[in-house]
Amino acid sequence: MKQFFKTAITAVAMLAAPLGAASASALDSISEAGVLKVAVPQDFPPFGSVGTDMQPKGYDIDMAALIAEELGVKLELVPVTSSNRIPYLNTGKVDLVISSLGKNPDREKVIDFSDPYAPFYNGVFGPADFSVEKAADLAGMSVGVTRGAIEDLELTKIAPSDVDIKRYEDNNGTISAFLSGQVDLIATGNVTAAAIIERDPPRKPEPKFLIKNSPCYVGLNKDEPELMAKVNEIIAASIADGRLNAIAEKWLGIPLPEKL
Amino acid sequence: MAYKFDFGAIVPHWQLLFDGVILTTELTVIGAVVGVGLGIMGAWARASRAPVISQIVGVYVELIRNTPFLVQLFFIFFGLPALGVKLTEFQAAVLAMIVNLGAYSTEIIRAGILAIPQGQIEAAQSLAMNRVQIFRYVVILPALKKIWPALSSQIVIVMLGSSVCSQIAAEELTFGANYIQALNFRAFEVYFVVTGLYLVMSILLRMGLKVLGNFLFERRRHV
Amino acid sequence: MSEFSLWDIAYNLLLAARWTVLLSLTAFVLGGLVGLLLLMVRTAGNPWVIRLVRGYVELFQGTPLLMQLFIVFFGLPLIGLDVSPWVAATLGLTLFTSAFLTEIWRGCVESIGKGQWEASASLGMNFTQQMRYIVLPQALRIAVPPTVGFSVQVVKGTAVASIIGFVELTKAGTMITNATYEPFTVYGCVAVMYFLICYPLSLFARHLEGKFRHVAR
Repeated sequence: MKQFFKTAITAVAMLAAPLGAASASALDSISEAGVLKVAVPQDFPPFGSVGTDMQPKGYDIDMAALIAEELGVKLELVPVTSSNRIPYLNTGKVDLVISSLGKNPDREKVIDFSDPYAPFYNGVFGPADFSVEKAADLAGMSVGVTRGAIEDLELTKIAPSDVDIKRYEDNNGTISAFLSGQVDLIATGNVTAAAIIERDPPRKPEPKFLIKNSPCYVGLNKDEPELMAKVNEIIAASIADGRLNAIAEKWLGIPLPEKL
Repeated sequence: MAYKFDFGAIVPHWQLLFDGVILTTELTVIGAVVGVGLGIMGAWARASRAPVISQIVGVYVELIRNTPFLVQLFFIFFGLPALGVKLTEFQAAVLAMIVNLGAYSTEIIRAGILAIPQGQIEAAQSLAMNRVQIFRYVVILPALKKIWPALSSQIVIVMLGSSVCSQIAAEELTFGANYIQALNFRAFEVYFVVTGLYLVMSILLRMGLKVLGNFLFERRRHV
Repeated sequence: MSEFSLWDIAYNLLLAARWTVLLSLTAFVLGGLVGLLLLMVRTAGNPWVIRLVRGYVELFQGTPLLMQLFIVFFGLPLIGLDVSPWVAATLGLTLFTSAFLTEIWRGCVESIGKGQWEASASLGMNFTQQMRYIVLPQALRIAVPPTVGFSVQVVKGTAVASIIGFVELTKAGTMITNATYEPFTVYGCVAVMYFLICYPLSLFARHLEGKFRHVAR
């Protein structure tokens, strides 16, 4: 047992120490390796989901491809979930997270965010027979939401205390819960709601009210100013020359708004 | 990759972990008590001479034992509403745990029953005990005593397995962990802490079951 | 978004099921080897070694496999060791499997009467010989059914490897559900495939159990 503790303490001590002084900048090591590794979602259409060949596709994947092309390196996609995308970045298993990330102050302590690259409006949606126009009207109802998504964090702030917010593991859980009637309403992105309506289910998520305009950002490890500058430069250029607009029209069916 | 650990970032959210521990405990206690009860009935049915009941229980046991708990949970939570039965996530989680443990404990207890020497049952019959009495005093108690360690392990496994109930929004310990990491992105810190909490809980559970076993089986012998 | 036909779903799940089978096999074989090693040092060892093994078993039986895999996959890079998902999943599942198997087998070895150890010791056998010729052949017979039974747990345990981005059966199921919004069809197929992998193992375990009982009588 003593030895066990000794080993355990050593292991913890090693973990706790700030590790391996960052030698080269992330940008340098990307161009050196010739590969850009990007964490992308596979559970969040139209930003990222899989096709029949099980390959990821969506807005975030096209964005990743655009950045890799501009950097002149090959692209390696790493499908992630909301609970492991940040560890992937922190442990250097990926260079960037392009996974419809929303920003908040606590998150900014752990990773850095680029300029926004995609519009994202989230709101509350539900069947026509629920009359809800603002957060206060939600009193006594149950709302399904994907745990830890920006709409979850914002809704938690504005909803009355007797709203029953159910937090599901992923987007699929949230949608299944709504479709099976486990929750009255859902809070999600407008594009997600539109995608559900398109499939013409018995319970239709019609828009009730907007929670927040919360655009998506590219996530980077902290203190990588060169990579950050490069990513922001690519985003700005692709907005200017219309390539980002093309991606938006392809996946969201709407052009980019004037200002992200 | 100079990641700096900040366990302090979890402290403001301790309430989520605390609530999670409570809910995991509730799920485990209800699931274990009712699940083992179900297992005793199942084992009785398996041992009974009514082939149809025995076979139905057999199919239930095989279906549950050979599919993942998560899939069972999804069917109960998302599937039953289609049949008009709407369960809250807590009810669904408890039900899934009961159904799951019921199947495993049926098998474990049945093994215990099979190990009871036939002579004991015959002796009880010659004492004019009826079937219920025989099952209660001669079969099930000695059988439970025999398989108590195996049953205890299975209950611990079910407790740890309850971590997937976070998928249907049951706010147990893993839910707390995932929620905190979504709020502040401190996945490592949270998972380390939660792993420690699970370890403590399973050690306590194992000890509790040992004490319970001693109480149930040792004392009775002296009465 | 619903371009998946039932055939596409089944086909993709089948492809992913290969990984479930491969991962289970690797974990089971490696876990068995490590478990056997632990069993040996524990049976022969001094009190400290016994406590160490007991702590190991307690640690891996007492924490969710999900968390173990997470810490192996994301924890090792923090101390400077980068591991691939395949290595991490194998390593995590091996540790998990070995903890359970060594515990199952310990029970079997302990069920061999003390008299047998004493008798073989009085014949001048050393520990290795006792194990090789007296204890293991008998313990093995008791151990086979629960060991095969546990293999079902390993198969189902591989499902949590999805936390580290390993696309096996359950993960593929989730990915397809997210593209199709048809949880029932997809999870129904997933359940059937697990059943097809696990049920033969269960049947085999039962068959061995019956065989053993026969021999014992």
